[in-house]
Amino acid sequence: MSSRTVWRSFQSHARRRLIVPETPYRCFSCTQLVQEPPKPSHDDRMTHFGFQNVPESQKESLVGAVFSSVASSYDVMNDMMSLGIHRLWKDHFVRSLNPGSALPSRDHDTAGRGWNILDIAGGTGDIAFRMLDHATNINHDLETRVTIADINPDMLAEGQKRSVQTPYYNTNRLSFMQGNAQELPSIPDNSVDLYTVVFGIRNFTDKQAALEEAFRVLKPGGVFACMEFSKVDNSLFNAVYKQWSFSAIPMIGQLVAGDRDSYQYLVESIEKFPSQEEFRGMIQKAGFMIPGRGYENLTGGIAAIHKGIKPLSRA
Amino acid sequence: MTRPQPLLTLSRRYLTTIVTPRTSTTTTSRLLRAPQPQPARPHLRITTTTPLIRTYHSIHYPSPTHPYTNSQTTILSAALHHVPTHGFTRDALTLGARDAGFLDVSVQLFPRAEFDLILFYLASRRGLLRSKVENDNLLQSAQPQSVDDKIKVLIMERLRMNAEVREKWVDALAIMSLGENIPMSLSELHALSDDILSLAGDVSVDASWYSKRLAIAAVYASSEFMMTRDTSAGLRDTEEFLGRRLADARAVGDKLSGVKQCLGFMGTTAVGLGRSWGLKI
Repeated sequence: MSSRTVWRSFQSHARRRLIVPETPYRCFSCTQLVQEPPKPSHDDRMTHFGFQNVPESQKESLVGAVFSSVASSYDVMNDMMSLGIHRLWKDHFVRSLNPGSALPSRDHDTAGRGWNILDIAGGTGDIAFRMLDHATNINHDLETRVTIADINPDMLAEGQKRSVQTPYYNTNRLSFMQGNAQELPSIPDNSVDLYTVVFGIRNFTDKQAALEEAFRVLKPGGVFACMEFSKVDNSLFNAVYKQWSFSAIPMIGQLVAGDRDSYQYLVESIEKFPSQEEFRGMIQKAGFMIPGRGYENLTGGIAAIHKGIKPLSRA
Repeated sequence: MTRPQPLLTLSRRYLTTIVTPRTSTTTTSRLLRAPQPQPARPHLRITTTTPLIRTYHSIHYPSPTHPYTNSQTTILSAALHHVPTHGFTRDALTLGARDAGFLDVSVQLFPRAEFDLILFYLASRRGLLRSKVENDNLLQSAQPQSVDDKIKVLIMERLRMNAEVREKWVDALAIMSLGENIPMSLSELHALSDDILSLAGDVSVDASWYSKRLAIAAVYASSEFMMTRDTSAGLRDTEEFLGRRLADARAVGDKLSGVKQCLGFMGTTAVGLGRSWGLKI
């Protein structure tokens, strides 16, 4: 009986949150200035932050505050929310990309030795370490190097702390940079073999601009690979999944990380992200070639891997 | 008197078929009872094509174009040159990508990796076989050939294309027989047997359309497997093996048609017997 009342209050609470967010934003680890409800000016373009609309200029700092507050408990929370499945997704993602050259490069190959990988929004190094491990252990490639870029210094600090435990610490195979994926002035044109962004592009203010920047930095023939939450195709499974993400995840966030609002933002931003087909269209619009169907659904479409290949320029 | 009317139309229909050069199975067997000037060929059932006959394949619809983009075709064609040394592997694909001016990472263009290379190999060899017949007059010879002879020539020609990669072909067969690849492999095998039969000029539009394709597919697949162990000069063993398998398929087909004829005869007899006893059938 008591469990039923708990369940009902839990549901009604989730429903209320869906419709009227009482406080637009509440975060313990950021300044009063950010907490001010955004006052949109008329000449400012609007974008969405979860289910709210905020001016584009504010989204960056709002997202920054979310990730600053979750950086330390990031892994524990990911495990709790996805029941550990996110590790399988990440392993599959890296295995399908097969980073590192198994074949010795030949004299007339122009590509140079090893791959130059840029991991955007990879602050905690989850993907970067996996790719380096795969290149080293599977393909015996000791040249492949990864640059981890993240807009958030707190996430980068977390990754730097973790990199001490890896054999790549303080080598030229791993480097960190802070930067906005929509503008990467420190990275020259046509210099990157593989551009990855895993569970990050959802938070970008202007996704199309980020895709075009990816197109610029990639070498001709280079690959853009992105793993992101997406739309579930089975309606029955979708109902279960929605119940889980809108009721359980904010609660887990409150219990484990002590931060309900950041996780409320997380599930709302997942809901707002374009479907597989729409996002494929955006990748195509940036100029990429799409291999096959263009995306691969994971766990019924909860997440999807999108890929695009920059065509050779025909001079 | 309602009975004679359908009988009359029936006989008229048979008349017209006898007049035309094309003969169906049943009319052939009827004709055989009459003394034939022509020496009995082993397989009267299969006859050569004439342009008058409508085939199953419409000439108005060109065969569908392949689904690869230009970049994919460039990489795959370059990768085929590395197959004799590296086999149907990711390495061959990577080397092909490098040769075509792409990066190692560009093999991401092929979501199915090795299997994409195998499918491209199969489809391109099939196209090559078609162009050999249509442009290089593979089937042209002094004396007219039966469809069966043409089928043998075509299968052997297709097998010879595998000669270069025959040590690596077992790997390819293994990849093709993986669960997720079986449907595509089978449809490619069907496309090949379909092409072989249509190029050989088979025009059947009855149930034998299916059985013939099944038989050719089975014969081709077993010969292909046999070839991976063949070390004889000029694939002589494979050719003999293929001849035996085709003879087997023919024998089975003849037996089946014999059984069918026998059952049909017994059926008609039973019906006739019943009618003579006054049953309303």
